[in-house]
Amino acid sequence: MASCTVHTAPYSFHCGSISRPAAKAFSLGFHQKHQQFIFFSSRRRRAVVCSAVEKTVVIGLAADSGCGKSTFMRRLTSVFGGAAEPPKGGNPDSNTLISDTTTVICLDDYHSLDRTGRKEKGVTALDPRANDFDLMYEQVKAIKDGVAVEKPIYNHVTGLLDPPELIKPPKILVIEGLHPMYDSRVRDLLDFSIYLDISNEVKFAWKIQRDMAERGHSLESIKASIEARKPDFDAYIDPQKQYADAVIEVLPTQLIPDDDEGKVLRVRLIMKEGVKRFAPIYLFDEGSTISWIPCGRKLTCSYPGIKFFYGPETYFSNEVSVLEMDGKFDRLDELIYMESHLSNLSTKFYGEVTQQMLKHSDFPGSNNGTGLFQTIIGLKIRDLYEQIVAERAAATAAAAKV
Amino acid sequence: MATAAAAGVSLSGPIRTVPVAKAELLGRKPVRIGQLLPLQRRAAAGRGRVVVVGSAQSSTPPEISEKVEESIKKAEEACAGDPVSGECAAAWDEVEELSAAASHAREALKANSDPLENYCKDNPETDECRTYDN
Repeated sequence: MASCTVHTAPYSFHCGSISRPAAKAFSLGFHQKHQQFIFFSSRRRRAVVCSAVEKTVVIGLAADSGCGKSTFMRRLTSVFGGAAEPPKGGNPDSNTLISDTTTVICLDDYHSLDRTGRKEKGVTALDPRANDFDLMYEQVKAIKDGVAVEKPIYNHVTGLLDPPELIKPPKILVIEGLHPMYDSRVRDLLDFSIYLDISNEVKFAWKIQRDMAERGHSLESIKASIEARKPDFDAYIDPQKQYADAVIEVLPTQLIPDDDEGKVLRVRLIMKEGVKRFAPIYLFDEGSTISWIPCGRKLTCSYPGIKFFYGPETYFSNEVSVLEMDGKFDRLDELIYMESHLSNLSTKFYGEVTQQMLKHSDFPGSNNGTGLFQTIIGLKIRDLYEQIVAERAAATAAAAKV
Repeated sequence: MATAAAAGVSLSGPIRTVPVAKAELLGRKPVRIGQLLPLQRRAAAGRGRVVVVGSAQSSTPPEISEKVEESIKKAEEACAGDPVSGECAAAWDEVEELSAAASHAREALKANSDPLENYCKDNPETDECRTYDN
Protein backbone atom coordinates (compact mmCIF):
# COMPACT_ATOMS: atom_id res chain seq x y z
CA MET A 1 0.00 0.00 0.00
CA ALA A 2 1.51 3.29 -1.00
CA SER A 3 0.94 6.61 0.62
CA CYS A 4 1.65 9.75 -1.33
CA THR A 5 2.43 13.06 0.20
CA VAL A 6 2.61 16.29 -1.76
CA HIS A 7 5.52 18.56 -1.01
CA THR A 8 6.20 22.04 -2.15
CA ALA A 9 9.85 22.89 -2.64
CA PRO A 10 12.04 22.56 -0.63
CA TYR A 11 10.90 19.00 -0.18
CA SER A 12 12.06 16.65 2.47
CA PHE A 13 11.88 12.91 2.54
CA HIS A 14 9.63 11.29 5.10
CA CYS A 15 11.34 7.98 4.98
CA GLY A 16 14.74 7.87 6.52
CA SER A 17 15.69 4.84 4.49
CA ILE A 18 16.92 6.72 1.45
CA SER A 19 19.14 9.60 2.29
CA ARG A 20 20.23 10.42 -1.23
CA PRO A 21 19.79 13.88 -2.71
CA ALA A 22 16.69 14.59 -4.75
CA ALA A 23 18.43 14.36 -8.11
CA LYS A 24 19.05 10.65 -7.79
CA ALA A 25 15.66 9.77 -6.52
CA PHE A 26 15.03 6.37 -8.00
CA SER A 27 15.95 3.51 -5.81
CA LEU A 28 16.24 0.23 -7.56
CA GLY A 29 14.30 -1.52 -4.92
CA PHE A 30 16.29 -4.22 -3.22
CA HIS A 31 13.50 -4.17 -0.70
CA GLN A 32 10.04 -3.51 -1.98
CA LYS A 33 9.13 -1.35 0.94
CA HIS A 34 11.81 1.24 0.38
CA GLN A 35 11.04 2.26 -3.14
CA GLN A 36 10.46 5.87 -3.78
CA PHE A 37 9.35 7.52 -6.95
CA ILE A 38 9.38 11.22 -7.53
CA PHE A 39 7.25 12.76 -10.20
CA PHE A 40 7.94 16.30 -11.19
CA SER A 41 5.13 18.32 -12.51
CA SER A 42 6.46 21.03 -14.78
CA ARG A 43 3.50 23.35 -14.47
CA ARG A 44 3.92 23.97 -10.81
CA ARG A 45 7.02 23.61 -8.69
CA ARG A 46 5.61 20.69 -6.83
CA ALA A 47 6.93 17.25 -6.29
CA VAL A 48 4.66 14.40 -5.44
CA VAL A 49 6.60 11.95 -3.37
CA CYS A 50 5.02 8.53 -3.25
CA SER A 51 6.66 6.15 -0.86
CA ALA A 52 5.70 2.57 -0.42
CA VAL A 53 6.85 2.59 3.18
CA GLU A 54 4.18 1.91 5.75
CA LYS A 55 4.72 3.26 9.19
CA THR A 56 4.92 0.40 11.65
CA VAL A 57 2.24 0.32 14.33
CA VAL A 58 3.92 0.33 17.74
CA ILE A 59 2.33 -1.17 20.84
CA GLY A 60 3.85 -0.87 24.31
CA LEU A 61 3.37 -3.44 27.05
CA ALA A 62 4.64 -2.85 30.57
CA ALA A 63 5.04 -6.06 32.51
CA ASP A 64 7.33 -7.28 35.25
CA SER A 65 7.45 -10.88 34.19
CA GLY A 66 10.46 -11.10 31.92
CA CYS A 67 10.22 -10.83 28.20
CA GLY A 68 8.73 -12.05 25.06
CA LYS A 69 7.70 -15.44 26.22
CA SER A 70 4.88 -14.21 28.36
CA THR A 71 1.37 -15.50 27.89
CA PHE A 72 0.07 -12.09 26.89
CA MET A 73 2.48 -11.94 23.98
CA ARG A 74 1.57 -15.40 22.80
CA ARG A 75 -2.13 -14.58 22.90
CA LEU A 76 -1.59 -11.31 21.11
CA THR A 77 0.44 -12.79 18.28
CA SER A 78 -2.07 -15.63 17.98
CA VAL A 79 -4.90 -13.14 17.33
CA PHE A 80 -2.97 -11.91 14.32
CA GLY A 81 -2.34 -15.45 13.18
CA GLY A 82 0.73 -17.59 13.25
CA ALA A 83 3.01 -18.48 16.08
CA ALA A 84 5.73 -16.15 17.23
CA GLU A 85 9.15 -17.71 17.29
CA PRO A 86 12.63 -16.52 18.12
CA PRO A 87 14.54 -15.44 15.00
CA LYS A 88 15.86 -18.48 13.22
CA GLY A 89 19.59 -18.91 12.97
CA GLY A 90 20.37 -16.14 15.40
CA ASN A 91 21.46 -16.00 19.01
CA PRO A 92 19.59 -18.78 20.83
CA ASP A 93 19.25 -16.56 23.88
CA SER A 94 17.58 -13.80 21.91
CA ASN A 95 14.52 -12.31 23.56
CA THR A 96 12.88 -11.32 20.29
CA LEU A 97 9.84 -13.09 18.88
CA ILE A 98 8.88 -12.86 15.23
CA SER A 99 5.69 -13.91 13.52
CA ASP A 100 4.23 -13.01 10.11
CA THR A 101 2.79 -9.68 11.13
CA THR A 102 4.28 -9.01 14.55
CA THR A 103 7.69 -8.59 16.06
CA VAL A 104 8.05 -8.47 19.83
CA ILE A 105 11.17 -6.91 21.22
CA CYS A 106 12.20 -7.03 24.83
CA LEU A 107 13.22 -3.74 26.37
CA ASP A 108 15.79 -5.52 28.55
CA ASP A 109 17.92 -5.42 25.41
CA TYR A 110 18.38 -1.71 26.04
CA HIS A 111 20.12 -2.21 29.36
CA SER A 112 23.14 0.05 29.46
CA LEU A 113 24.64 -1.90 32.35
CA ASP A 114 24.99 -5.65 32.32
CA ARG A 115 24.56 -7.75 35.45
CA THR A 116 28.06 -7.15 36.75
CA GLY A 117 27.81 -3.45 36.00
CA ARG A 118 24.58 -3.20 37.93
CA LYS A 119 26.02 -5.08 40.88
CA GLU A 120 29.00 -2.73 41.01
CA LYS A 121 26.83 0.35 40.93
CA GLY A 122 24.23 -1.19 43.24
CA VAL A 123 21.29 -0.56 40.91
CA THR A 124 18.50 -2.91 39.94
CA ALA A 125 17.32 -3.45 36.37
CA LEU A 126 14.25 -1.41 37.30
CA ASP A 127 16.34 1.71 37.76
CA PRO A 128 16.40 4.06 34.74
CA ARG A 129 20.15 4.43 35.20
CA ALA A 130 20.55 0.86 34.01
CA ASN A 131 18.78 1.53 30.71
CA ASP A 132 19.72 3.44 27.60
CA PHE A 133 16.58 5.40 26.75
CA ASP A 134 18.26 7.38 23.98
CA LEU A 135 19.05 4.20 22.08
CA MET A 136 15.57 2.85 22.77
CA TYR A 137 13.98 6.01 21.35
CA GLU A 138 16.29 6.08 18.31
CA GLN A 139 15.69 2.49 17.37
CA VAL A 140 11.93 2.43 17.97
CA LYS A 141 11.64 5.62 15.90
CA ALA A 142 13.73 4.06 13.15
CA ILE A 143 11.64 0.90 13.04
CA LYS A 144 8.48 2.98 13.04
CA ASP A 145 9.80 4.87 10.02
CA GLY A 146 10.61 1.67 8.20
CA VAL A 147 14.34 1.41 8.79
CA ALA A 148 15.87 -1.87 9.94
CA VAL A 149 18.06 -1.61 13.03
CA GLU A 150 20.78 -3.57 14.75
CA LYS A 151 19.38 -4.07 18.19
CA PRO A 152 21.60 -5.22 21.08
CA ILE A 153 20.73 -8.45 22.86
CA TYR A 154 20.70 -8.78 26.62
CA ASN A 155 21.34 -12.40 27.51
CA HIS A 156 19.29 -13.24 30.59
CA VAL A 157 21.21 -16.42 31.26
CA THR A 158 24.74 -15.00 31.26
CA GLY A 159 23.74 -11.47 32.22
CA LEU A 160 25.88 -9.97 29.44
CA LEU A 161 25.16 -7.81 26.44
CA ASP A 162 25.55 -9.95 23.33
CA PRO A 163 26.33 -8.77 19.76
CA PRO A 164 23.33 -7.10 18.10
CA GLU A 165 20.75 -8.73 15.85
CA LEU A 166 19.01 -7.24 12.84
CA ILE A 167 15.38 -6.26 13.32
CA LYS A 168 13.44 -5.55 10.14
CA PRO A 169 10.41 -3.29 10.43
CA PRO A 170 7.30 -5.43 10.79
CA LYS A 171 3.68 -4.39 10.37
CA ILE A 172 3.23 -4.38 14.13
CA LEU A 173 5.99 -3.85 16.63
CA VAL A 174 5.39 -4.69 20.27
CA ILE A 175 7.84 -3.38 22.82
CA GLU A 176 7.57 -5.30 26.03
CA GLY A 177 9.44 -4.71 29.23
CA LEU A 178 9.73 -2.64 32.36
CA HIS A 179 9.94 0.87 30.88
CA PRO A 180 7.97 1.23 27.65
CA MET A 181 6.20 4.35 28.88
CA TYR A 182 8.91 5.78 31.12
CA ASP A 183 10.56 8.00 28.54
CA SER A 184 8.19 10.61 27.13
CA ARG A 185 9.69 10.45 23.62
CA VAL A 186 9.12 6.70 23.43
CA ARG A 187 5.64 7.18 24.87
CA ASP A 188 4.73 9.49 22.00
CA LEU A 189 5.73 6.84 19.47
CA LEU A 190 3.29 4.31 20.89
CA ASP A 191 -0.01 3.84 19.10
CA PHE A 192 -1.40 1.91 22.05
CA SER A 193 -0.06 1.06 25.47
CA ILE A 194 -0.97 -1.56 28.05
CA TYR A 195 0.12 -1.93 31.66
CA LEU A 196 -0.16 -5.27 33.42
CA ASP A 197 -0.64 -4.47 37.09
CA ILE A 198 -0.31 -7.50 39.36
CA SER A 199 -1.14 -6.82 42.99
CA ASN A 200 1.38 -7.75 45.65
CA GLU A 201 -0.57 -10.69 47.07
CA VAL A 202 -1.10 -12.25 43.66
CA LYS A 203 2.52 -11.61 42.70
CA PHE A 204 3.65 -13.37 45.84
CA ALA A 205 1.37 -16.36 45.20
CA TRP A 206 2.55 -16.66 41.59
CA LYS A 207 6.21 -16.37 42.47
CA ILE A 208 5.83 -19.06 45.09
CA GLN A 209 4.32 -21.37 42.49
CA ARG A 210 7.08 -20.54 40.07
CA ASP A 211 10.07 -20.77 42.39
CA MET A 212 9.27 -23.19 45.20
CA ALA A 213 10.37 -26.21 43.21
CA GLU A 214 13.71 -24.54 42.61
CA ARG A 215 16.56 -25.71 44.80
CA GLY A 216 17.87 -22.94 47.01
CA HIS A 217 14.63 -21.00 47.08
CA SER A 218 12.54 -20.85 50.19
CA LEU A 219 9.52 -18.82 51.23
CA GLU A 220 11.82 -16.30 52.89
CA SER A 221 14.04 -15.85 49.86
CA ILE A 222 11.06 -15.31 47.58
CA LYS A 223 9.60 -12.78 50.00
CA ALA A 224 12.96 -11.02 50.39
CA SER A 225 13.37 -10.83 46.64
CA ILE A 226 9.99 -9.15 46.18
CA GLU A 227 10.57 -6.77 49.10
CA ALA A 228 14.01 -5.72 47.91
CA ARG A 229 12.72 -4.79 44.47
CA LYS A 230 9.63 -3.01 45.74
CA PRO A 231 11.11 0.48 46.32
CA ASP A 232 12.54 0.71 42.79
CA PHE A 233 9.38 -0.82 41.36
CA ASP A 234 7.13 1.69 43.09
CA ALA A 235 9.36 4.60 42.12
CA TYR A 236 10.01 3.85 38.46
CA ILE A 237 7.66 1.21 37.07
CA ASP A 238 4.36 1.77 38.85
CA PRO A 239 3.92 5.43 37.77
CA GLN A 240 3.70 4.28 34.15
CA LYS A 241 0.16 3.12 34.93
CA GLN A 242 -1.23 6.59 34.47
CA TYR A 243 -0.04 6.81 30.87
CA ALA A 244 -1.38 3.46 29.73
CA ASP A 245 -4.42 3.31 27.45
CA ALA A 246 -5.46 0.05 29.06
CA VAL A 247 -4.51 -1.37 32.44
CA ILE A 248 -5.14 -4.98 33.39
CA GLU A 249 -5.22 -5.12 37.16
CA VAL A 250 -4.99 -8.53 38.80
CA LEU A 251 -6.21 -8.70 42.38
CA PRO A 252 -7.08 -11.44 44.84
CA THR A 253 -10.64 -12.68 44.60
CA GLN A 254 -13.41 -11.28 46.76
CA LEU A 255 -15.53 -14.38 46.35
CA ILE A 256 -13.48 -16.64 48.60
CA PRO A 257 -12.61 -15.23 52.00
CA ASP A 258 -8.88 -15.39 52.83
CA ASP A 259 -7.87 -17.01 49.57
CA ASP A 260 -4.10 -16.99 49.23
CA GLU A 261 -3.51 -19.47 46.47
CA GLY A 262 -4.11 -17.01 43.70
CA LYS A 263 -6.05 -19.52 41.68
CA VAL A 264 -9.30 -17.54 41.58
CA LEU A 265 -8.65 -13.96 40.58
CA ARG A 266 -10.42 -10.67 40.34
CA VAL A 267 -9.30 -8.99 37.16
CA ARG A 268 -10.12 -5.42 36.19
CA LEU A 269 -9.76 -4.06 32.70
CA ILE A 270 -9.35 -0.30 33.00
CA MET A 271 -9.84 1.41 29.65
CA LYS A 272 -9.08 5.04 29.09
CA GLU A 273 -11.83 7.06 27.45
CA GLY A 274 -11.12 9.20 24.44
CA VAL A 275 -8.23 7.17 23.08
CA LYS A 276 -8.02 7.40 19.32
CA ARG A 277 -9.24 4.28 17.50
CA PHE A 278 -10.05 2.46 20.77
CA ALA A 279 -13.66 1.95 21.77
CA PRO A 280 -13.90 0.53 25.31
CA ILE A 281 -15.79 -2.70 25.86
CA TYR A 282 -19.01 -2.40 27.78
CA LEU A 283 -21.62 -4.54 29.42
CA PHE A 284 -25.27 -3.96 28.45
CA ASP A 285 -25.32 -0.16 28.51
CA GLU A 286 -22.33 2.02 27.84
CA GLY A 287 -21.57 4.56 30.52
CA SER A 288 -23.87 3.09 33.15
CA THR A 289 -22.90 1.02 36.17
CA ILE A 290 -23.75 -2.65 36.00
CA SER A 291 -23.26 -5.48 38.43
CA TRP A 292 -23.88 -8.84 36.84
CA ILE A 293 -23.82 -12.40 38.10
CA PRO A 294 -24.36 -14.62 35.07
CA CYS A 295 -24.83 -17.81 37.10
CA GLY A 296 -28.47 -18.57 37.78
CA ARG A 297 -31.28 -20.31 36.03
CA LYS A 298 -29.87 -20.21 32.53
CA LEU A 299 -26.27 -20.89 33.42
CA THR A 300 -24.98 -23.10 36.20
CA CYS A 301 -21.49 -22.33 37.46
CA SER A 302 -19.25 -24.25 39.80
CA TYR A 303 -17.93 -22.74 43.04
CA PRO A 304 -17.12 -19.86 43.53
CA GLY A 305 -19.06 -18.63 40.52
CA ILE A 306 -18.52 -15.53 38.42
CA LYS A 307 -19.26 -11.90 39.10
CA PHE A 308 -19.00 -9.02 36.64
CA PHE A 309 -18.91 -5.33 37.21
CA TYR A 310 -18.88 -2.52 34.68
CA GLY A 311 -18.87 1.20 35.27
CA PRO A 312 -17.25 4.58 34.65
CA GLU A 313 -14.51 5.64 37.06
CA THR A 314 -11.64 8.03 37.46
CA TYR A 315 -8.13 6.65 37.38
CA PHE A 316 -5.22 9.02 38.04
CA SER A 317 -7.40 11.92 36.98
CA ASN A 318 -8.34 10.24 33.68
CA GLU A 319 -11.87 9.25 32.70
CA VAL A 320 -11.96 5.47 32.38
CA SER A 321 -14.40 2.62 31.97
CA VAL A 322 -13.77 -0.43 34.08
CA LEU A 323 -14.87 -3.96 33.28
CA GLU A 324 -14.22 -6.35 36.11
CA MET A 325 -14.50 -10.12 36.31
CA ASP A 326 -14.14 -12.03 39.55
CA GLY A 327 -14.11 -15.81 39.62
CA LYS A 328 -13.28 -18.51 37.17
CA PHE A 329 -15.09 -20.38 34.47
CA ASP A 330 -14.42 -23.94 33.55
CA ARG A 331 -16.90 -24.71 30.81
CA LEU A 332 -17.21 -23.66 27.23
CA ASP A 333 -20.83 -22.60 27.60
CA GLU A 334 -19.98 -20.22 30.46
CA LEU A 335 -17.45 -18.51 28.25
CA ILE A 336 -19.70 -18.18 25.22
CA TYR A 337 -22.54 -16.95 27.45
CA MET A 338 -20.33 -14.19 28.83
CA GLU A 339 -19.02 -13.27 25.41
CA SER A 340 -22.52 -12.91 24.01
CA HIS A 341 -23.36 -10.27 26.62
CA LEU A 342 -20.25 -8.11 26.16
CA SER A 343 -20.29 -5.35 23.54
CA ASN A 344 -17.66 -3.55 21.47
CA LEU A 345 -15.42 -6.57 21.48
CA SER A 346 -14.20 -5.97 17.89
CA THR A 347 -14.65 -9.63 17.05
CA LYS A 348 -15.06 -10.59 13.41
CA PHE A 349 -17.58 -13.30 14.16
CA TYR A 350 -19.69 -14.49 17.05
CA GLY A 351 -17.65 -16.64 19.39
CA GLU A 352 -14.23 -15.41 18.32
CA VAL A 353 -13.13 -14.67 21.87
CA THR A 354 -14.17 -18.15 22.98
CA GLN A 355 -12.39 -19.68 20.02
CA GLN A 356 -9.18 -17.84 20.82
CA MET A 357 -9.40 -18.86 24.47
CA LEU A 358 -9.96 -22.48 23.52
CA LYS A 359 -7.05 -22.44 21.12
CA HIS A 360 -4.79 -21.75 24.05
CA SER A 361 -6.57 -23.51 26.86
CA ASP A 362 -3.24 -24.74 28.20
CA PHE A 363 -1.94 -21.20 28.78
CA PRO A 364 -2.08 -19.91 32.33
CA GLY A 365 -5.08 -17.70 33.00
CA SER A 366 -7.25 -19.48 30.48
CA ASN A 367 -10.05 -19.95 32.94
CA ASN A 368 -10.22 -16.48 34.45
CA GLY A 369 -10.24 -12.80 33.63
CA THR A 370 -6.53 -12.58 32.84
CA GLY A 371 -6.80 -14.76 29.75
CA LEU A 372 -10.16 -13.27 28.80
CA PHE A 373 -9.03 -9.65 28.96
CA GLN A 374 -5.68 -10.34 27.33
CA THR A 375 -7.52 -11.97 24.42
CA ILE A 376 -9.98 -9.07 24.18
CA ILE A 377 -7.15 -6.52 24.20
CA GLY A 378 -5.52 -8.54 21.43
CA LEU A 379 -8.68 -8.18 19.36
CA LYS A 380 -8.83 -4.45 20.12
CA ILE A 381 -5.26 -4.05 18.92
CA ARG A 382 -6.13 -5.87 15.73
CA ASP A 383 -9.03 -3.49 15.26
CA LEU A 384 -6.74 -0.52 15.87
CA TYR A 385 -4.27 -1.81 13.31
CA GLU A 386 -6.99 -2.29 10.71
CA GLN A 387 -8.28 1.22 11.32
CA ILE A 388 -4.81 2.62 10.74
CA VAL A 389 -4.45 0.64 7.52
CA ALA A 390 -7.84 1.87 6.33
CA GLU A 391 -6.92 5.46 7.16
CA ARG A 392 -3.73 5.18 5.14
CA ALA A 393 -5.61 3.76 2.18
CA ALA A 394 -8.08 6.64 2.37
CA ALA A 395 -5.22 9.13 2.56
CA THR A 396 -3.62 7.60 -0.53
CA ALA A 397 -6.88 7.77 -2.42
CA ALA A 398 -7.35 11.41 -1.42
CA ALA A 399 -3.80 12.37 -2.35
CA ALA A 400 -4.08 10.59 -5.68
CA LYS A 401 -7.05 12.75 -6.61
CA VAL A 402 -5.00 15.93 -6.21
CA MET B 1 18.80 -58.13 20.56
CA ALA B 2 19.60 -55.67 17.87
CA THR B 3 16.16 -55.92 16.26
CA ALA B 4 14.39 -55.20 19.53
CA ALA B 5 16.47 -52.10 20.02
CA ALA B 6 15.69 -50.90 16.55
CA ALA B 7 11.95 -51.50 16.66
CA GLY B 8 11.19 -50.32 20.20
CA VAL B 9 11.53 -51.42 23.77
CA SER B 10 10.09 -54.66 25.11
CA LEU B 11 9.32 -54.60 28.79
CA SER B 12 8.03 -57.37 30.95
CA GLY B 13 5.17 -55.27 32.14
CA PRO B 14 2.54 -52.95 30.74
CA ILE B 15 3.83 -52.08 27.32
CA ARG B 16 3.14 -48.75 25.72
CA THR B 17 3.59 -48.89 21.99
CA VAL B 18 5.82 -46.11 20.84
CA PRO B 19 4.47 -45.01 17.47
CA VAL B 20 7.31 -45.62 15.10
CA ALA B 21 6.98 -43.06 12.37
CA LYS B 22 8.15 -43.76 8.89
CA ALA B 23 10.80 -41.14 9.42
CA GLU B 24 12.47 -43.26 12.08
CA LEU B 25 12.44 -46.39 10.00
CA LEU B 26 14.10 -44.50 7.22
CA GLY B 27 16.66 -43.46 9.76
CA ARG B 28 15.81 -39.80 9.60
CA LYS B 29 14.75 -39.19 13.16
CA PRO B 30 15.44 -41.94 15.67
CA VAL B 31 13.62 -42.03 18.99
CA ARG B 32 16.04 -40.87 21.59
CA ILE B 33 16.80 -43.40 24.29
CA GLY B 34 16.19 -40.71 26.88
CA GLN B 35 12.54 -40.66 25.81
CA LEU B 36 12.16 -44.31 26.73
CA LEU B 37 13.27 -44.05 30.33
CA PRO B 38 9.94 -42.69 31.62
CA LEU B 39 8.27 -45.84 30.25
CA GLN B 40 10.44 -48.01 32.44
CA ARG B 41 9.64 -45.91 35.47
CA ARG B 42 5.94 -46.07 34.80
CA ALA B 43 6.07 -49.78 34.15
CA ALA B 44 7.95 -50.42 37.37
CA ALA B 45 5.46 -48.35 39.36
CA GLY B 46 2.64 -50.37 37.82
CA ARG B 47 4.05 -53.52 39.32
CA GLY B 48 3.57 -52.11 42.79
CA ARG B 49 7.12 -51.06 43.50
CA VAL B 50 7.78 -47.67 44.99
CA VAL B 51 9.89 -45.77 42.54
CA VAL B 52 11.48 -42.54 43.60
CA VAL B 53 11.16 -40.37 40.56
CA GLY B 54 13.61 -37.83 41.91
CA SER B 55 13.49 -34.17 40.96
CA ALA B 56 11.36 -34.74 37.90
CA GLN B 57 9.15 -31.73 38.72
CA SER B 58 11.84 -29.07 38.67
CA SER B 59 13.36 -30.02 35.37
CA THR B 60 15.48 -26.90 35.18
CA PRO B 61 18.75 -27.28 33.36
CA PRO B 62 21.41 -27.74 36.07
CA GLU B 63 23.57 -24.76 35.06
CA ILE B 64 20.74 -22.32 35.56
CA SER B 65 19.65 -24.09 38.72
CA GLU B 66 23.15 -23.70 40.15
CA LYS B 67 23.25 -20.04 39.18
CA VAL B 68 19.96 -19.43 41.00
CA GLU B 69 21.25 -21.13 44.14
CA GLU B 70 24.51 -19.18 44.09
CA SER B 71 22.76 -15.89 43.53
CA ILE B 72 20.45 -16.51 46.49
CA LYS B 73 23.43 -17.17 48.77
CA LYS B 74 25.19 -14.06 47.52
CA ALA B 75 22.06 -11.98 48.00
CA GLU B 76 21.64 -13.19 51.56
CA GLU B 77 25.24 -12.26 52.29
CA ALA B 78 24.92 -8.85 50.67
CA CYS B 79 21.82 -8.05 52.67
CA ALA B 80 23.19 -9.33 55.95
CA GLY B 81 25.20 -6.13 56.20
CA ASP B 82 22.75 -3.45 55.13
CA PRO B 83 19.24 -4.50 54.12
CA VAL B 84 18.33 -1.22 52.42
CA SER B 85 21.46 -0.67 50.37
CA GLY B 86 21.56 -0.62 46.60
CA GLU B 87 23.77 -3.71 46.64
CA CYS B 88 21.12 -5.69 48.49
CA ALA B 89 18.44 -4.64 46.01
CA ALA B 90 20.70 -5.39 43.05
CA ALA B 91 21.53 -8.83 44.46
CA TRP B 92 17.89 -9.80 44.92
CA ASP B 93 17.10 -8.37 41.49
CA GLU B 94 19.65 -10.78 40.09
CA VAL B 95 17.93 -13.65 41.92
CA GLU B 96 14.63 -12.60 40.37
CA GLU B 97 16.15 -12.41 36.88
CA LEU B 98 17.73 -15.83 37.18
CA SER B 99 14.55 -17.38 38.59
CA ALA B 100 12.65 -16.00 35.61
CA ALA B 101 15.27 -17.39 33.25
CA ALA B 102 15.02 -20.75 35.02
CA SER B 103 11.27 -20.87 34.64
CA HIS B 104 11.55 -19.97 30.94
CA ALA B 105 14.12 -22.73 30.50
CA ARG B 106 11.77 -25.20 32.17
CA GLU B 107 8.96 -24.21 29.82
CA ALA B 108 11.25 -24.46 26.82
CA LEU B 109 12.30 -27.95 27.89
CA LYS B 110 8.69 -29.00 28.21
CA ALA B 111 7.91 -27.57 24.81
CA ASN B 112 10.85 -29.30 23.17
CA SER B 113 10.46 -32.71 24.71
CA ASP B 114 8.52 -34.32 21.86
CA PRO B 115 10.84 -35.28 18.99
CA LEU B 116 7.96 -35.70 16.57
CA GLU B 117 6.72 -32.18 17.26
CA ASN B 118 10.22 -30.80 16.80
CA TYR B 119 10.65 -32.63 13.50
CA CYS B 120 7.25 -31.51 12.25
CA LYS B 121 7.90 -27.89 13.10
CA ASP B 122 10.63 -27.84 10.50
CA ASN B 123 9.07 -30.25 8.02
CA PRO B 124 5.31 -29.83 8.01
CA GLU B 125 4.83 -31.20 4.51
CA THR B 126 6.16 -34.71 5.19
CA ASP B 127 3.70 -37.59 5.46
CA GLU B 128 3.87 -37.98 9.20
CA CYS B 129 3.35 -34.33 9.84
CA ARG B 130 0.46 -33.49 7.61
CA THR B 131 -2.71 -32.35 9.33
CA TYR B 132 -6.01 -32.55 7.57
CA ASP B 133 -8.20 -29.75 8.87
CA ASN B 134 -10.80 -29.60 6.20
